[in-house]
Amino acid sequence: MKPNTASKLLIICSLFYLLIGISLGFVTAMKLIWPTIGEIEILTFGRIRSVHTNLVMFGWLLQSGMGLAFFILPKLLHTKLYSEKLGVVTCGLFNITTIGSATLIFAGQMKNIEYGEIPIPFDYLTVICWVMFAINIFATVINRNVKYLYVSVWYFIGAVIWTAFVYITGNIITQLPFIAGINQANLTWFYVHNAVGLVFTPMGVAIAYYVIPKTLNTPLYSHKLSLVGFWVIAFVYVWTGAHHMIFGPISYWLQTVAILFSWSLIIPVVAVITNFLGTYLATPKEKRYLGPIAKFMYMGTIFYLLTCLQGPFQSIRTVNIITSKNDWVVGHAHMALLGAFSYFAVGGVYHVLPRIIGRKLYSEKLGDIQFWIMTTSSVLFFGILWVSGVVQGFLWQNMNGTFLEILKMMKPYHTIRFISGSLIIVGFIIFLYNIMETLWGKAQEMKDVEV
Amino acid sequence: MKKPAFEKNLFLLGIGAFLIFSVGATLTTIIPPLVDNTFYKSPYPVHTYTNQELKGMKIYQANGCVYCHTQQIRHLKADQIRFGWRLVEAPASQSWEYVNDRLHFLGTKRTGPDLARVGGKYTSSWHWAHFKDPRNMGEKYQTQYGRFQEASLMPNFYFLSDEKIKDLTAYLQTLGRNMNWRKSPNGENLNDYEN
Repeated sequence: MKPNTASKLLIICSLFYLLIGISLGFVTAMKLIWPTIGEIEILTFGRIRSVHTNLVMFGWLLQSGMGLAFFILPKLLHTKLYSEKLGVVTCGLFNITTIGSATLIFAGQMKNIEYGEIPIPFDYLTVICWVMFAINIFATVINRNVKYLYVSVWYFIGAVIWTAFVYITGNIITQLPFIAGINQANLTWFYVHNAVGLVFTPMGVAIAYYVIPKTLNTPLYSHKLSLVGFWVIAFVYVWTGAHHMIFGPISYWLQTVAILFSWSLIIPVVAVITNFLGTYLATPKEKRYLGPIAKFMYMGTIFYLLTCLQGPFQSIRTVNIITSKNDWVVGHAHMALLGAFSYFAVGGVYHVLPRIIGRKLYSEKLGDIQFWIMTTSSVLFFGILWVSGVVQGFLWQNMNGTFLEILKMMKPYHTIRFISGSLIIVGFIIFLYNIMETLWGKAQEMKDVEV
Repeated sequence: MKKPAFEKNLFLLGIGAFLIFSVGATLTTIIPPLVDNTFYKSPYPVHTYTNQELKGMKIYQANGCVYCHTQQIRHLKADQIRFGWRLVEAPASQSWEYVNDRLHFLGTKRTGPDLARVGGKYTSSWHWAHFKDPRNMGEKYQTQYGRFQEASLMPNFYFLSDEKIKDLTAYLQTLGRNMNWRKSPNGENLNDYEN
């Protein structure tokens, strides 16, 4: 098989789920304004919401991450991917899993685990896919022709190991017959939090550690900071699951532990951010923000910083009273997965895909337009969710308004959320068009393919 | 600077990443139930779900109700008052109350109100009308707040069969009743499972 077949296939498939996933997000946002729209069983809010999160997280982010890893790792290790065939089979199985689980969720077969709605047998199949992916990654690292492992490799290896344990805990162990009640809730939030922190964070950061120095043509700012960032995140991220139940029915000491570790998360995040921004600052000023890739990686870094500063602050008990259980949470989750990691993935795809097929990106200009549309609208999107969250949080403290009266006041916020969310989708559609033209359109062949 | 050994040894890197992760993983998932046995055992009597209620729980799960309704009264005055009943504050949720919930629905987002103590607050015929059309519940349930009912964002569950609505209602009516909290003005217990 031609080199990078698996990588190309995974990336192209992931774009399909991106389109479906964001369209379902569009429908959920619409239902908050006109709840009677699409009143049929399979389009009930609870179901499309679950398919939206699943497709965007696993179909798009995880799959594109796997595809990018299959390209980036061999490049860094000066070798070939261990087995293209295994990679293609992984991709096929993963797509069966993603489509199958979405179908079953629509049909009302979801599990009660947030982000882990994927029902049997597809959660087990996901684990099998992951083992196949892991074999390919480990074997590629073993077959390497360089002595030292670059920081992206650490993060990919970490992601492979942590994802396995986090996924199995959330999807399989929570369903064991003796796990019930608060015990199950605790494992659920272990999974929910680490799905973001130990699956998508290491994937996204690994991509950024490769793409940023490559696209800026500047060496990485600091090796020491990479060390701090990697080992501290490996230690502290996993402790924080219980901060989803502050003031809730779980041991007070466990909540306190989760809050303390939420704060220590600032250390690895700031280490990584300093490293990325340092690399930007070491680049000559006129070359820093050329083209869409540099812009997406830069803004992704900023969103990553903001979302990871939000986390510690909203875990403080007094702040949590206001920011928990309302739209604030939605804004926070979107800034992590849409703002930070989707930006890294978009930058990664823009960097990698043209190099795989040996053609130039169809239009840098369109990429820039996409960047500005997405950035302005997503800042508005996150912002309005936080404002409405805080407003609702304070109104809930005031006993003069009934729940419905307060909900009615949220209408303007829901409208702005819908409009800005739609603009984000426009940005993504430009992205998909740009990629399609690059793949199948009349884009120029790349002259000397430097990779 | 001399590079650390793990940077040229996959085995060290993998084992290190796993071990350092497993410290927190163990201490936050396996240890808490060992320290606090109310995670799986209750010192007080807890309602055992009937078959009908378990079917209702499955319907609650299938339609993703948890994404708009939490099931936890937090240890906050505001939660206790807002989700209380006729000026009686709802007691905050305790971990032992959930020990019989094979499926937990604690939730993270309140687009609709919390349901942890909804059991018994409304009659089953109220729930019936509400599931059929949350924005127009008919003459019988017009209240002074009726005009706000149109603000509800809940989906119409007209597609559920009559039997399914009954199962779902039976499940909802059990919620929060492990604590005897609703009393009539003369101190009588209102914790019957009949209505």
